[in-house]
Amino acid sequence: MIRTVSALALAFCLWGSALAAPAADTVMRSANLRPASGSPEAGLWQASDEAETYARQSADLDSDPVLGAYVRNLICKLAPEYCGELRILVMTRPVLNATAAPNGYVEVYSGLMLRSRTESELAYVLGHEISHFARNHALAQWQRNKTRGNVTLAIQVGVSVVAIAAMASVANSGDFYAPNKIDYIGDAAQTLSDLAYIHGLATYFAYSREDESEADRLGQIRAHGVGYDPWAAPAIWQSVGAEVRASEYPEVRKSLARATIFDTHPLTEDRIEALKRAAGSTPHQTAEESRAEEQAYRAIIRPHLAVWLRDDLRRRDLGQSLHLISRLEAVGEDLGLLAYYRGEAYRQRHRDGDLSSALAAYRLSITHADAPAEAWRELGEAESRAGNAPAAIRALETYLTRAPGSEDRWLIESELETLKASHS
Amino acid sequence: MRIWLLALCCLVLAGCTTSRARVAAPELTTPVTAGSAGLLVKPVARLALLTVAGLTERRDDWSRDAATHLAAGFQAELAKRDHPFNLVDLSGQMEGRTGQVLRLNEAVGDTIQTYEFGAQRLPTKAKGFDWTLGEGTRLLRGDSGADHALFVTARGTWSSPGRKVLLVGAAIIGTPIPMGSQTLSASLVDLRTGRVIWYNQALAGPADDMRTPEGAQALAASVLKGAPL
Ligand SMILES: [Zn+2]
Repeated sequence: MIRTVSALALAFCLWGSALAAPAADTVMRSANLRPASGSPEAGLWQASDEAETYARQSADLDSDPVLGAYVRNLICKLAPEYCGELRILVMTRPVLNATAAPNGYVEVYSGLMLRSRTESELAYVLGHEISHFARNHALAQWQRNKTRGNVTLAIQVGVSVVAIAAMASVANSGDFYAPNKIDYIGDAAQTLSDLAYIHGLATYFAYSREDESEADRLGQIRAHGVGYDPWAAPAIWQSVGAEVRASEYPEVRKSLARATIFDTHPLTEDRIEALKRAAGSTPHQTAEESRAEEQAYRAIIRPHLAVWLRDDLRRRDLGQSLHLISRLEAVGEDLGLLAYYRGEAYRQRHRDGDLSSALAAYRLSITHADAPAEAWRELGEAESRAGNAPAAIRALETYLTRAPGSEDRWLIESELETLKASHS
Repeated sequence: MRIWLLALCCLVLAGCTTSRARVAAPELTTPVTAGSAGLLVKPVARLALLTVAGLTERRDDWSRDAATHLAAGFQAELAKRDHPFNLVDLSGQMEGRTGQVLRLNEAVGDTIQTYEFGAQRLPTKAKGFDWTLGEGTRLLRGDSGADHALFVTARGTWSSPGRKVLLVGAAIIGTPIPMGSQTLSASLVDLRTGRVIWYNQALAGPADDMRTPEGAQALAASVLKGAPL
C-alpha cells in the first residue's frame, strides 16, 4: 500500500531541485572505471552486482528486444562514452523511475516510459540518471552518510552520558544485543537525541539536493547537446506534479509539500524554475514539431500501452490513472484503447457517478477502430447494469465475435442466455 | 535466542565458535549412503565493515577471500569423511530454471534461519525439522550423479577501529553498543527429493576469522560437527 501510494512521491525525492549551475571544472568519471579492491566503492559495486543478478531474474524484467534496443540506443546517444559499460534493463513497473547503479547497471521503469510525452522528456530523465553515474554520486552520498552518521551518533551518545548519570538503573539493563536501549533513557534525552537526528536528516537532504540539482542540470545539457528539446525537462516535471495533485489520497497530494520539510518554498517549483532558466532563450518547439515528436514517441511505446495501462490501474490510485489517461489522450491517438482504460478506471473507483462515466467511456471506446475486444465485454456488463438489455446483448455478442477464443466465453454465453430469457 | 546467549557466554569464556544443528526426522530422509557423491556449491559470503555509527560498509575483498577460503576449508573437512564432494560454481546459472531453484534455496534458507534459529516458531513447523525445496533440485544434479548438495552462506561484520574505541568509551558510561559478528550457515539438501536433511548455523568466535584459510577451515569443521556425512 505504502509503495503504491508513494510511488510518484518517490520520484520527487529522487530528484530534488536545481539550484546552482555546475562548476566549469565538473569532472566526469572515466570510462570503464574499476574501483580498487577493498575500497568503499568496490563494496558498492559488489552489492550492485548482486542487485543486478536479482533484477535479471525478476518477473518484472521486460523481454521485448525491440523496446530494449530502443532504450539502449537512446542511452548510447546520450552517453557514447559509457555506452560499452552500461547494461540496460527495462522493468515493467508502473512507477516513474530510473536508476543507474555505480557498477553500470541501469534500470528503466515502464512507468517512466508511459509518462514521457516525447523522446525528449525520456532523454532528459535518462540524462539525469547518467549524470548521477558520471559524477559518482552514489559513492559521494555514501561517504557523506558515513560522516554524518558518525556525527549524529556522537551527539546521541553525548546526550546519553547526561541522561545515564541520572538514570543509571535503566541504562544498566544488561541486554548487550539491544541497540535501541538509548530509547529508554528518559524523555529529555530522547528529545535531544531526536533533535540531533533531525539535524542529521536535514543535512542529508540538503546535500542530496545538491547532487540532484547537478544531475538535473547535467541531464538537461546532455539531452540538449544531442538535439533534444531542453523545455522537455521542466515539462515532464510539471506533468508529474499535476499527476500527484490528481491523486485519490490526501497523503500523496500532501507529499509535494512534505518533500520540502526543511525548505521555505516548494521543491517542485524550484526545480521547474531552474530548468526553465537553463532552457533560457532556446526557442520552444512549434506546434507541428511538438506534435510530430509526440506521435513518433507514441509509435514506439504503442505495443506496450495496454499492458502498462493495466499495470497502472493496479496501483489503485485511480485519480492519478485518470489524469495520466487524459494526458495520453491529448496526443489524439489510441483513443479507443485509452477510452476503454478510462472506463476501467471509473468502474474500479466506483464512486458517485463513476458507473455512468464508465458506461459513457465504453460507448466512446467502441466508436474507435483501436478499441480492444474487452471494451465490448465491459460495455455489455455496464449496459446490463444500467438496465439496457438489448444494448447489453448486442455488446456481449460483438465481444464473442471479436474474441472468439476467449477463456471467459462460457461465462458470457450463460450471461447472454439469462439476458435473453429475461428480456423476451 | 538461546544460541546467542550461549554464544555470548562462549565468547566471554573461551572465544570458541558455537553452533546448533537442525536435522530432519529419519523418516523424512533417505540415509546418506557411504561413498555417495555430493556437490559443494561455491560458498557465498557477504562481509562488511561496521563503521563508528553502525553503518555496514560492504568489503568486496573480504567477501571474495572468505568465499575462496571457505570453499577450500569445507573441501578439506569433507575430504576427511567418506563422501567425495566436488566444488561447483553455479553463480553463472542464475537465470532460467536452475536460477529459480537456487533462489528458492536462498528463500528457504532465510526462512529456516528466522523460524528455526530465531525466537519465533511457525505453528505448522512445530513438530520437527521439515523443509523441502521440491523435486526441482534434480536440475542441479546435471550429469554429476550427485545425490546431495551442500550450500554454505556467510554473513558478518567487523568493527572499524573507531567503533572499538567507541565501545570502550560506551562501556565506561554503560551505553550498550553492538559490535561486529559473523555467522556461517550450511544446508545439506537431498537433490533427489529436494528435502533439507540437515541445517546448521554457527556464530564465529573471535579466533575463527573466515578471511584467513585457517579460520575458514576451523569454522567449516565446527559447522560440520554432527552432520550426517
Ligand atoms: Zn536523481
